[in-house]
Amino acid sequence: MRGLSTGRLTALAAGLAAVAGLVLLPFLTDSFYTFVATRMLLLGLFATAYNAVFGFGGMASLGHAAFYGIGGYSVGIGVTRWDWPPLVVLPVAIVLGAAAAAVFGIMCLRVRGIYLLLLTLALAQAIAGLAFYQTEWTGGDNGIPSISRDGLPSAVREGDGFYWLSLGVVAVCVALLWMYQRSPLGMSVVGVRESEARMSATGYRTGRLRIIAFTVSGAFAAVAGVMEVYLQGSVSTANMHWQISAEVLVFAILGGARHFLGPFLGAVMVTGLEVWVSTYTDRWMTVLGIVYIATALFLADGVLGRAGWAVRRAKDLRAGPAAAPAAAPKDRTELPAEAPA
Amino acid sequence: MLTWLTHSVNGLAYGSLLFLVASGLTITFGLMRTVNLAHGAFYLIGGYLAYDLATDGTDYWLALLAGVVAAAIGGMIVERAFLHRLAGRELPQIVLTLGVAYIIGDQILANYGGDPVAPPTPPGLEGPVTIGDWIFPKFRLVMIGVAIGLALVVGALLKYTPTGAKVRAAVDDEEIARAVGIRVPLVFLLVFGCGTGLAAFAGVWGGAFTSLAPESGFEVLLLALIVVVVGGLGSIGGALTAAFIVGLVDQYGKVWFPEWALFTLYASVAALLAVRPSGLFGKAVFR
Repeated sequence: MRGLSTGRLTALAAGLAAVAGLVLLPFLTDSFYTFVATRMLLLGLFATAYNAVFGFGGMASLGHAAFYGIGGYSVGIGVTRWDWPPLVVLPVAIVLGAAAAAVFGIMCLRVRGIYLLLLTLALAQAIAGLAFYQTEWTGGDNGIPSISRDGLPSAVREGDGFYWLSLGVVAVCVALLWMYQRSPLGMSVVGVRESEARMSATGYRTGRLRIIAFTVSGAFAAVAGVMEVYLQGSVSTANMHWQISAEVLVFAILGGARHFLGPFLGAVMVTGLEVWVSTYTDRWMTVLGIVYIATALFLADGVLGRAGWAVRRAKDLRAGPAAAPAAAPKDRTELPAEAPA
Repeated sequence: MLTWLTHSVNGLAYGSLLFLVASGLTITFGLMRTVNLAHGAFYLIGGYLAYDLATDGTDYWLALLAGVVAAAIGGMIVERAFLHRLAGRELPQIVLTLGVAYIIGDQILANYGGDPVAPPTPPGLEGPVTIGDWIFPKFRLVMIGVAIGLALVVGALLKYTPTGAKVRAAVDDEEIARAVGIRVPLVFLLVFGCGTGLAAFAGVWGGAFTSLAPESGFEVLLLALIVVVVGGLGSIGGALTAAFIVGLVDQYGKVWFPEWALFTLYASVAALLAVRPSGLFGKAVFR
């Protein structure tokens, strides 16, 4: 293994161990924790998809529950009405989610910052209003119960099998998002975040890039919504609730929106905390509120941002007292300011 | 003909309720540029406290006052303890105030349960008024008057009094305002308290109008946010106009196309914001 430094080897070993742990997880725990792990994976995918707009696109959306819910209702309506197999549901959901997200992107071309936040919220509420009042299609407030997984191959229909299916879907989607983010296209979206004026002066069509970021994000958010509804077996207006949009925003901030896997980590942390706290008390929402407050006050750059800062500082301390102290973390997640006209 | 009059006045009355909620937000969000998603939670605090006291036999106006004062103090505590640390950073403000709202909503759920409660209608305003053949609840008519009155009073306070001038100065240029001796942190603290106090007043009256439940705080919050943004941040007159329009659109939407009710409301707001981000009467671009 010449050419690989020890640091790389350690990273490779850690990566392999993580993959092995994820694959073997159903053998290590009981069915309840496998269910929890499935949920973590799906919410993690949702958060990673969200970050294509938020962390990398620099647009704080408060409307992603719409795409997540569109994915969910695609399953609910497709399976209960027409017995669609997953191989039909999934493409339909992706197309619908991407189309809705493209509309969001187009509508948001002229707004920045807090206005973008409120506009995405209003758009998502309009779609949630459809889910609520188009009762003939959506079952209104009751939603669509008992959605069967019979269309899935029997090997991945229940419990452990469904976990592996989710793991596969999430792995493929996260890998695709990673490739997108590293591609020239994804990098130019980051460029728009950094300076829209410069990007457009260099000849990039920044509006189009913003719409693309929304579209990619919406498509993958819909996939997460599809899998979540297969997992839960029902879909209701709760899948479209704007608090889901807020939750995914907090996942991203808490984990670290400037890091690709930060939002995933945030989703895993909050979901894990919910399971753990719920064994002690019914007042989960109060605990969640405290988490939100702590995130806002102390973790504006996320857990990963903080960890990176701590590592840098430790290195500086080791370098000796003469070395300059580490600068305060710079990658705080701020609402992007309005670009100068 | 009379049905349409009833629908219209109903829409205006609902718009007035929205303005009562939004008036506090216009001050804290529109003027101070502090995003407070816990506004609906202070609405609940006022409503539930007044309900509790009034059903225990306290005088109605005393109960109302207690609710308003409690929410104002609660708001000032949140501002002083947390929010002032996040000045100018909207995203953390959103997360923080949402956390505060979750805690308050959850504690209300724990103490009062999830069933809707309604604070009593203010004494003297029960029952209907009859004008010719037309019958309408007196309380709702008075609400429209109160909303217009409140808009005039708040607008005049900001525009013509020395205190209002200080507030506007503190908002426009904090450093210069400090330099000329205005105690900006104190001004912000008091303004924020006024905002949450107004939310509580809206909670007591709005609760009598539509009844209260732990989740109704967020429902009114979303509509009030829309009113503030559609009206143009910081514009009291704009907020009043937007509140009446939203109230009427909501009412007629429910009557004409019930299956599209929320969609028509939010979609038209979204369309307006997409084309004119600064709202109907907003001039200053938000940073």
